[in-house]
Amino acid sequence: MSARVHKLINQPENILSDMLDGFCAAYGDIARLTDEGLVVRATPKDPGKVALVIGCGSGHEPAMIGWIGQGLFDVNIAGEIFTAPGPERILQGIKAADRGAGVLVCVSHHAGDLLNAELALELCEMEGLSNVDMVVLYDDISSAPKGREPERRGTAGLFFVWKMLGAFCEGDGDLAAAKALAEKVRDNTRSLAMSLSSCASPVTGEVMFEMPEDEMEIGMGLHGEMGMGRQKALSARETIDLMLPPILEDLPFQAGDEVLVLLNNSGSMTLMELFILYKRVAEKLAQAGISVYKSWIGPYATTQEMAGFALSLCRVDDELKALWDAPAKGAYMKQL
Amino acid sequence: MSEIGSDDLKAMVLAIAARIADSRERLNRLDAALGDGDHGASISGAFELAASEVADLPDPKPSEIWLTTAQSLMNGMGGASGALFGTLFLKGGAAIRGKERLVKADLNQLWAASLAGVKARGKAEIGDKTMVDALEPAVLAFAANDNIADAWAAAAEAASNGAESTRALIARQGRAKYLGERGIGHQDPGATTIALMFEALDNYWREMTNGKA
Repeated sequence: MSARVHKLINQPENILSDMLDGFCAAYGDIARLTDEGLVVRATPKDPGKVALVIGCGSGHEPAMIGWIGQGLFDVNIAGEIFTAPGPERILQGIKAADRGAGVLVCVSHHAGDLLNAELALELCEMEGLSNVDMVVLYDDISSAPKGREPERRGTAGLFFVWKMLGAFCEGDGDLAAAKALAEKVRDNTRSLAMSLSSCASPVTGEVMFEMPEDEMEIGMGLHGEMGMGRQKALSARETIDLMLPPILEDLPFQAGDEVLVLLNNSGSMTLMELFILYKRVAEKLAQAGISVYKSWIGPYATTQEMAGFALSLCRVDDELKALWDAPAKGAYMKQL
Repeated sequence: MSEIGSDDLKAMVLAIAARIADSRERLNRLDAALGDGDHGASISGAFELAASEVADLPDPKPSEIWLTTAQSLMNGMGGASGALFGTLFLKGGAAIRGKERLVKADLNQLWAASLAGVKARGKAEIGDKTMVDALEPAVLAFAANDNIADAWAAAAEAASNGAESTRALIARQGRAKYLGERGIGHQDPGATTIALMFEALDNYWREMTNGKA
């Protein structure tokens, strides 16, 4: 299946600034673009609370600009397309976010995000900013085997961390407690993605990879990185029957567990397809004795116009359920 | 000519930037097979920024030229490439801090520190299908030759061979790692950039010494 190559943009070198200008013009009551190019809350959180910062490549909208707002992140340092921002920009973001109770830098595990966050923390040390820490987050079971979880990459399932960590940081918990909460959600989250089509890089205008029309790839990364392998495209039911068992076995999720479910649209799947997929997810979870606390279906972390989805599960207890239900007011993550 | 001063180092950054700008499309194509296809665009843009920042430095010390290049690469490019190529120049620049002119032994230290920095930052070793596969043999070849001209030539050849060698490898670091065996047959774009860097440095040295002979 060939990808749509023509994109409605202006000069490719202005993609990032044009997009951020448009986003903040549309959602000015929620987010604001600073002179340094940081996306920050229109109204900062109260002093004395831990601030949350994330630097990440762009091209995954609404992640992460759509997650700035009350009950969510304080600052997003948006990098170029699929490219993490450099250390000085992350440092600017940390300074802009600080409300006097420490700053937690969240890293969706990819080499660029991790290396630049490490460099930014070294800059903090050199400048004497001491109450700053980072947490490395990952969820994709296809990117490293069980037992080597810290090598896995961060994908759509970090959705659960963003929401619950954001809620936690509206409370009085300190930086160490915030980091521990992020790790708790991460360690209870597992994801697996698939794709039916490629997508085009907005920077080069080239298709990112070739995908024959009647095939699918299981275990796709957020930048079109390959996963576990190609195979013939299947029906919705067969696809879930293939993808859900390895997710359940990995944690493992067991009978009696309560979970949150995300079906993340990676770009151009239809909602019709996602609802059909979800029907099978619900059937299989019921068969396994796993109950669903809440579900979300939609485009939360995208890879341009790629046709595919990620299935993510997060095991929750009473603490996490309360954080899940807490209010959130981001442009693309609302919980009332 | 056996010493290198700030004018040479400035010219060397410009020479690297020009060589990488020429190879922009080739690097994009290499990256398309293993990554997201924009390595040429991002690294040529970052070296262009480095070249202009370095050209604007009034009367810099050798270390300032390398540190300015590091900052331009890290902050102009971002991503893993920005962090790793930035670290290469950052650690190299730190190794020559305080020197006005560099002799062969200083250059050996500069490259040794660059290599150690990149390996520590990226946690990559020879054989992981990364820039280290070109950088490590180049640094070793440079140190093994006492004569500067021979050292540049040997380093350029070793980097080129090292970059070629990545074709046969399975990536163990970076985004290409998820491709597994499907990455075999494709040359690593980061290693290729290292080879282009050393080729530009060798060419610069040849032109300089021919001009002065």
